[in-house]
Amino acid sequence: MGCLVLASLVLITVSFRSSALDGVQGVGATVLRPFETAADRVTRPFRDTVGWFQGLVNAKNQNAKLRARVAALEQEQIRYASALEENVQLREDLNYHAPPSVADFGKVDAEVVANAQSAIEDTITIWAGSSNGVANGDVVVEPTGNPDGTGALIGTVTHVTPDVSRVTLLTDNESAVTATDLTNTNVIGAIRPGSGSSLILDRVPKQPAVRVGDTIITAGSLGQGPLKSLYPRGIPIGTVTGRSNSDANLFQNIRVQPFVDLSSIESVIVLTPKKTG
Amino acid sequence: MDALKAALVLFVACLLQLSVLTEYKAFRSASIVLVALLAIALLRGSVFGAIAGFATGLLLDTATLGTLGVTSLLMTLAGFWIGRYGETTARDRFHAPYLSVAVVTLLYAFGQVLLQFMLGQPAPAGAAVHALPGALLLNLLLTLPVYALARRLFPPAELGDRVREVRLLG
Repeated sequence: MGCLVLASLVLITVSFRSSALDGVQGVGATVLRPFETAADRVTRPFRDTVGWFQGLVNAKNQNAKLRARVAALEQEQIRYASALEENVQLREDLNYHAPPSVADFGKVDAEVVANAQSAIEDTITIWAGSSNGVANGDVVVEPTGNPDGTGALIGTVTHVTPDVSRVTLLTDNESAVTATDLTNTNVIGAIRPGSGSSLILDRVPKQPAVRVGDTIITAGSLGQGPLKSLYPRGIPIGTVTGRSNSDANLFQNIRVQPFVDLSSIESVIVLTPKKTG
Repeated sequence: MDALKAALVLFVACLLQLSVLTEYKAFRSASIVLVALLAIALLRGSVFGAIAGFATGLLLDTATLGTLGVTSLLMTLAGFWIGRYGETTARDRFHAPYLSVAVVTLLYAFGQVLLQFMLGQPAPAGAAVHALPGALLLNLLLTLPVYALARRLFPPAELGDRVREVRLLG
């Protein structure tokens, strides 16, 4: 017993203070991967069955709402297409240099191999590592969250081995992302974990108006200071579901519901910086 | 033979924990690995429980790319302590597995927070406390089938097997 406790403490110390065990850990995770995939495949039909019945209950109710939403979005799409065309033309005319966007990054598709979400930390393990070009700090998005294929934000890569990587989700206590309101870019704040699966847009002064239903996106680098944001501008994060003010607080209390259900992610896209020169 | 069976049971429990349970919000706070470990420790004693706990913790930390040793330490202590309880006062008591799971779930959550805090990582005690009632309930619900399965795989030793030493009096 004493030996095992001592061994655990040695492992914690070595693992925490150096990267000496990273290689061993990476090999271990790689070896475990086929078993995790097998477990996933075996249990998939049962989960699909449960999901199918859950979906059936909600389908009729959602159908009418979605039809109305599709009609509204079709109108909106026409307006956006026109605005986009105008935007491209104006950028060319003004020779405007925009901050990096998702299009400036390479994309690595990866399957989720393990889900380690708990009350203490929210992380997932993905089947892509340094051999695929993934590096610490790379931004991770969901494959199908956005019409232009960029996907909604999930988190960042925080630990890389040759074949697998750990992704710290937005709902983890260590996570913080500079974000803005899509309809009012004067609103700049930091997305932090809220209670349960929700998020909080923190550090937004009381003055800029944020409305319930607004879309929150990554702000990207603001072009000031030596440290650039890890996140390219314009990645969708979530929708504002509520806001409140209190006299004791200088900032608004803005609740955001992420676009992605972070508890059941099956595959992700890692945005890797494109090599220049 | 027991070691092989325990390794298999705990390995499957780890796979279920990482690939299935965490996919459902409602079951995320449950720990089938902890329940399986405690059931085995209760039936096979402190040394067996400690070794099984260490190996299981190492496996979990490896699979999740977490800090190696954190889960091992907590599970070693849990396996040893409950194994000791199984060797002494818990023999043939109906409530022993439920009591073990309830107490260890509670202590494991606080142990996790304490270790994170000592390592200088975010240690949200509020979130841990918030998740605790759900974790307690789900782990207790899992105890019934998991302990029944463990009892079939690791039948309690007969009295003759248990007595290793006889002291003659008089």
